[in-house]
Amino acid sequence: MVIAVGADRPGIVAAVTGVLVEQGCNLEDTSMTILRGHFTMMLVVALPPGGDPARLAGALAAAADAVDVDVRVLPIGEEVGRSPGGDPWTVSVYGADRPGIVHGVAALLAGLGVNITDLTTRVAGPPEQPVYAMVLEVTVPPGVEAPDLERRLEALAGGLGVECSLHPADADIL
Amino acid sequence: MAVRPVVVLPDHRLKVPSRPVGRIDDAARALAADLVDTMRSRPACVGLAAPQIGMGLRAFALDVTGHRKAVSCHGEVVLFDPEIVEAEGSVLAREGCLSVPDLTGDVARAARVVVRGLALDGSTRTLDTDAFEARAVLHELDHLDGLLFLDRVESHDRVFRRKVYR
Repeated sequence: MVIAVGADRPGIVAAVTGVLVEQGCNLEDTSMTILRGHFTMMLVVALPPGGDPARLAGALAAAADAVDVDVRVLPIGEEVGRSPGGDPWTVSVYGADRPGIVHGVAALLAGLGVNITDLTTRVAGPPEQPVYAMVLEVTVPPGVEAPDLERRLEALAGGLGVECSLHPADADIL
Repeated sequence: MAVRPVVVLPDHRLKVPSRPVGRIDDAARALAADLVDTMRSRPACVGLAAPQIGMGLRAFALDVTGHRKAVSCHGEVVLFDPEIVEAEGSVLAREGCLSVPDLTGDVARAARVVVRGLALDGSTRTLDTDAFEARAVLHELDHLDGLLFLDRVESHDRVFRRKVYR
């Protein structure tokens, strides 16, 4: 896993991936976005046979310096267990910003064995009245019923003074 | 007639616009039978376009019977040289495609679409569809123009790994 963070500017992706190409690496899954002006990269990278993470880290550091980016190389296991199965749902939570929204929702889901597969949060609106929006992709395991989950989420959201909704995220194969 | 192998990415044939069929002859009827047989051979499949079985011709098969999101339902439909007559509204929903394994994406489609083409007997057929059937029609029409749902994903939306179902 290669993680890189730096003040956003053109050329960061080109600089980092240029080193990966030179080193004979292959990009597997990646996620990259701007968080509060910081360009943030998470890359699952396959090293070539005989590849050395330390050498890759050295080569990346030099290139990252040129675009003012901090970069880390974290060895990760090749095989990890499958995430729990179930039905995909989307949870939306939004309202006035306050501490504890993410944790409250995540703790409720964890307690029910609901797995979070994707989570994005954004704070928008004027500084004096920030609006918080969170969208989660979750996998609801067998045995947890959507109406019950929705009731629990609504009760939690009510306590936090925010809005919340749950809708199916299953795709139709056309 | 036969179940054909489904063309999947990165096969470039999926990106090539298809040619009109023009006349409904034995070859066109054989294509229709292959489309229906191949569609029926895949449990979750509600529609299939000719390029998906490697035929660069403007034809698709469709059947949304029993689908929980369907409102209009014309049963099994095969249409040649289909054209959009009318389209209205916009609904966002998540789509996958037999030709794009493992990925899904959120795509905005018209809520209602009227489409006209040639039926199996060579007559002109006009379908007034909405909801899920309209989405399926538009998804198959895109295939005839070399477009995949990946080409339609809204900029802000993301592409997702298809989830494991129970």
